[in-house]
Amino acid sequence: MGANGMAPVLLIGLDGATFTILDLLMAQGEMPFLQEFVRQGVRADLRSTVVPLTPPAWTTLMTGRTPGNHGIIDFIWAEQRATDHYFTLYNFRDIQCETIWSMVSRAGGRVCTLNFPIMAPPPPVNGVVVPGLVSWKHLRRNIHPDGLYEELKGLPEFDPRRFAWDFGLEKKAATGVPEEDVEEWVAFHRHRERHWFDITSHLLDREPFDLAAILFDGMDKMLHIGWRLLDPRYAVDLSPTDQRHRELILGYFRELDGYLEKLCRQAGEKARVVLASDHGFGPSHEVFRVNTRLAEQGHLFWKKVDSADEKTRASVDRLVERHFVLLDWERTTAYARSTTSNGIYIRVADGPDRPGIAAAEYEGFREGLRQKLLQVKNPDTGQTVVSQVLTREEAYPGTCNGQAPDLTLVMRDSGFISILDRSPVVATRPHIEGTHYPLGVFIARGPGLACGAKAGCFSICDVAPILLHCLGMPVPGDLEGEVPAGVFSSSHLLERPVQKDTDTAPPASYAAAQCAYSTPQEEEETILNQMRALGYLE
Amino acid sequence: MSQHDLTRESILTDVIAILNDMTQDWDLEFSGGIAGDTKLVGDLHFESIDIVQFIVAIEERFQRRGLPWEKILMTDGRYVDEIRVGDAAELLAQHLGGTA
Repeated sequence: MGANGMAPVLLIGLDGATFTILDLLMAQGEMPFLQEFVRQGVRADLRSTVVPLTPPAWTTLMTGRTPGNHGIIDFIWAEQRATDHYFTLYNFRDIQCETIWSMVSRAGGRVCTLNFPIMAPPPPVNGVVVPGLVSWKHLRRNIHPDGLYEELKGLPEFDPRRFAWDFGLEKKAATGVPEEDVEEWVAFHRHRERHWFDITSHLLDREPFDLAAILFDGMDKMLHIGWRLLDPRYAVDLSPTDQRHRELILGYFRELDGYLEKLCRQAGEKARVVLASDHGFGPSHEVFRVNTRLAEQGHLFWKKVDSADEKTRASVDRLVERHFVLLDWERTTAYARSTTSNGIYIRVADGPDRPGIAAAEYEGFREGLRQKLLQVKNPDTGQTVVSQVLTREEAYPGTCNGQAPDLTLVMRDSGFISILDRSPVVATRPHIEGTHYPLGVFIARGPGLACGAKAGCFSICDVAPILLHCLGMPVPGDLEGEVPAGVFSSSHLLERPVQKDTDTAPPASYAAAQCAYSTPQEEEETILNQMRALGYLE
Repeated sequence: MSQHDLTRESILTDVIAILNDMTQDWDLEFSGGIAGDTKLVGDLHFESIDIVQFIVAIEERFQRRGLPWEKILMTDGRYVDEIRVGDAAELLAQHLGGTA
């Protein structure tokens, strides 16, 4: 690796990785390479974004900016209007900041970025982009540069259906995998990771890159379904079926360890290798049905649907399956939009006699709602379930927070909220489920990096500055992270202190995205009508 | 090609090229060749996510966002069941200044 005189860097993303499990597996001898890698490098807890979620967190890692500034809040982008509610999916054109791939490209470096989310349509970087979260049907068109897809088709066993994103399967992960499907589910993701490994290995063999990055996202899937099988606090008296599932999941980690070893060897001894996750993982014990609570308090009204209308009924069933909320927008004043954002949106009236609360009442309404949310208790334990309720300004400071919720909930078990119309408001889960926790992992090894060190805890915003310094580049002044103490050795920093740079460049999509967010009312309605027509909107 | 050079015919050609490229690996049984009267759902088995991608591809090709797609995707406030390739091309021609 290393194409342009830069010190080569390999970034390996591990979606959902947590030391809670990795330390255990290393101690048990399941991940011997990782254990040696940690011994020779520096490790730290990595604090995720305010809501530890894949799209905002990886975008923060890729930009060095917080979600309030890069603009990616959730999987879905939505807009509320007086009588309707509109959804679509975020894409690369919605990122409001320059990515590290672009920064390195501008400096003449060669980059390779594989399976990172929100990277489609792919930007024209100096190198390679194979985006994540893209269906196999559209992968060809979303790979940069042209012609690379045809080249990858020549790889043995290449099958885009088996490594690209599948919306139906992702939904499965969110709603729970039935016991009878677990084996197939784990096998699918083990095969998928091998595909991504093969692609990465091929590209590293083909040409030198200054910054090569691959995101393995199977660990998140394994931990969602397998937490109770891996965490020794819960993995007791396992049934034969559970034991078989546990062994299959452990197989995933063993294979991943092998991929890490091979990729590090390919990168070479001169390369600096950084492992990082977007968030951590841990057990969730209870579920908070926020919309049910808001309905009880008179803030939310469910939409009544005429069940005699077969076509409407089918449409509604489809929406409910997708977890979209069906609300009476004329009367609803507060609601949770998605289970992943952990956010509550307040509808503010855009004029007299319009739906929503009056603008003058907003602050008082929001504060009242916040206080009431903090008092919600689990009847089984008597304990409050919400540990923090953050306002938009607190959770998403920045210039691009227009899509952020008015209130963001931090649950005491770090779980995600439920948005469905079900009772009771709070319930203890029948089984422990894995959920996203704020502390992920950072591990790095290579020339100049601290050896055998623990660097405490730092922010996911710090990863981009660290990568840039690894590459020998100055750190742009507008990045929100820094190169934390303890990552590099003292002797390295004496010889090569961290250099500051001018601000980042606006991304190519910036102007267009700004237009999309600030079009005149008529044009904005047009965009929203378009999305409704696409079936993503209610 | 600048937008001033666009004609209805060239726009339709570009849209068909996008669709040919997009669907070439889909193993479709449709064999007539994509043309103006090809149906996205009936012939090319489009789902809603495919329509999103189709629109993104068109926006990238013509460097325009926010076109009023609802004019061909909705009728009387309801989603249409079918869209023809020519409908998309005609919409583009109307809003990108395509000449006859």
